[in-house]
Amino acid sequence: MARIPISFMAALALLGAVGFAKSADAACGKVTIAEMNWDSARVAAHVQDIILAQGYGCETEVVPGDTVPTVTSMTEKNEPDIAPEIWINSAREVVEAAVAEGRLAIAGEILSDGGEEGWWVPDYVVKDNPDLTTLQAVLQKPDLFPDKEEPGKGRFYTCPSGWACEIINANLYKAYGLEEAGFTLFNPGSGEGLSGAIAGAYERGQPIFTYYWAPTSVLGKYPMVKLGGMTHDPETWPCVIDKDCAEPMPNMYPKSVVYTVVTSSFAEGAPEAYDFISKVSWPNALVGQILAWMEDNQATGLEGAEHFLKNHEAVWSAWVPADVAAKVKESLM
Amino acid sequence: MPDWIQNFPTLDVAALRALQKSIDAAYRSFSRDYGNAIESFFDPLLYILIQFEWILLNAPWWVVIVIIAGTCFAVSRRPLLTLAVIAAFFVIGYLGMWDNTMRTLAIIFVSTIIAIAIGIPIGIAMARSNRVQAAVMPILDVMQTMPVFVYLIPVVMLFGLGKVPGLIAVVIYAVPPVIRLTNLGIRLVDKEALEAADAFGANNWRRLFGVQLPLALPNIMAGVNQTIMMALSMVVIASMIGVKGLGQPVLQAVTNQYFALGLFNGAAVVGLAIVFDRITQSYGRRAQAKLQG
Repeated sequence: MARIPISFMAALALLGAVGFAKSADAACGKVTIAEMNWDSARVAAHVQDIILAQGYGCETEVVPGDTVPTVTSMTEKNEPDIAPEIWINSAREVVEAAVAEGRLAIAGEILSDGGEEGWWVPDYVVKDNPDLTTLQAVLQKPDLFPDKEEPGKGRFYTCPSGWACEIINANLYKAYGLEEAGFTLFNPGSGEGLSGAIAGAYERGQPIFTYYWAPTSVLGKYPMVKLGGMTHDPETWPCVIDKDCAEPMPNMYPKSVVYTVVTSSFAEGAPEAYDFISKVSWPNALVGQILAWMEDNQATGLEGAEHFLKNHEAVWSAWVPADVAAKVKESLM
Repeated sequence: MPDWIQNFPTLDVAALRALQKSIDAAYRSFSRDYGNAIESFFDPLLYILIQFEWILLNAPWWVVIVIIAGTCFAVSRRPLLTLAVIAAFFVIGYLGMWDNTMRTLAIIFVSTIIAIAIGIPIGIAMARSNRVQAAVMPILDVMQTMPVFVYLIPVVMLFGLGKVPGLIAVVIYAVPPVIRLTNLGIRLVDKEALEAADAFGANNWRRLFGVQLPLALPNIMAGVNQTIMMALSMVVIASMIGVKGLGQPVLQAVTNQYFALGLFNGAAVVGLAIVFDRITQSYGRRAQAKLQG
């Protein structure tokens, strides 16, 4: 019986504390940012952290996170305030429910290209053969991508065994008639093997025709062109992702949408800071470059963020008003 | 108190990174400059592998079984073992793993031949000279203890993905036992046997091929046996760099938790291992019996 008033009092006290914190620093207040355990999200968290702290005077803190636990904590406990990189496909239900309840808000699309999967060829191949930007054009030239183990045929590098994209690629291989065009479906065995093959081909300027995904350090280091001539069709997609699909139709990986998600209390309590957060958005080519730099230098998310802020001012200064940009710039000196 | 007493004196982080980066860059430029040449140097090997695999895959299954069982019987003279080998291949074929088993058989066979071709001469050289032995031993130790993944990706950068890099990785890993046991076997040959050979006026060549190698054969066969076993244990790792065969379904089983798929293909690798093991062992035993008899 006695417990109800106590928890009620505690809730009141908490409300008071929140109210007090807000009034103490009306501009922004205390902001916690989730740092996910993959590199692109790490950089995003630290970029937002630095700009909020230096530019907006927020009292920021970066806390570790992971997609579903972080979203759940944001919904239930109102903490952390910002999750910079939420791949909506892996948390659609929890996020949509919380947005409908008014507890969370989707601030913006942090990856302007989204998560991209597709079939790629190196940029130097396109430079030498300007028409090789579509799958159909590549299929005309199996000799350009020789599979030494099957003389006379071309090689298409698919996904390692056991990955979902292995099944999708096998179905698309059928649907687009790669076999008839003289291409083998080559299993690279492992993700490391595939990136090693791309690196090896790149160092020697050899053509390679492969599945890959962005944003990744591999595509940051070794710029490639995603082949056109493939379009996503939601109608026939369920068959394409099925291992036992009898007659796969031509299709294409859909773009994965990647959002920045914030708590509603942050969005309403710090409108200026929220305005900045909602503008944070970058293309995969840029993210890939930062990831590649981080990999080369074995850098942390914080170092990656500083590298980005120092070298890509034009990108981030568009996200903030001029006075904020100046403060951030000064802090980087 | 100076800092280095409390803390281990380390290279500072920036210098360490610079060092690693320069090694990476050196390797990349090496691969850029010599990659094509090295790759085409191994083209004949790739050709042999492709042809051998093609023969195994396209020969009628019963021809393959007859040849393997025939070899087994010729070498071991044990009818029961021969029947067990036939049964093992029937089970493998019946469970739909024939093609992958043939692919694995092809790469293991060629790797073993190469390992023997490299290993026995090196073993002989080591047995004849203590200096060579002192120089080669530490290299063998490195080859056997260096984690495979350390050299797997550099090999891929140089050779791309597929059979040749897989073969090189397998040979690096599997060649030490045949070298060590050839060396040991020759060194263990009786002094008196050698003296007798000298007394009959045998030259170096005859001494080696007439006395030392035949007397060392049981040990050499034990080395060959170990080499084959180590090559087979590399099947799954080789499949991580695009070698087709029994390793790929095992990898797939691991990533997707397909227990039965992993078990069947793993059992097929074990089956191959037992077949090779029994054949080489009974050959070694017969060689030994001949020596004593």
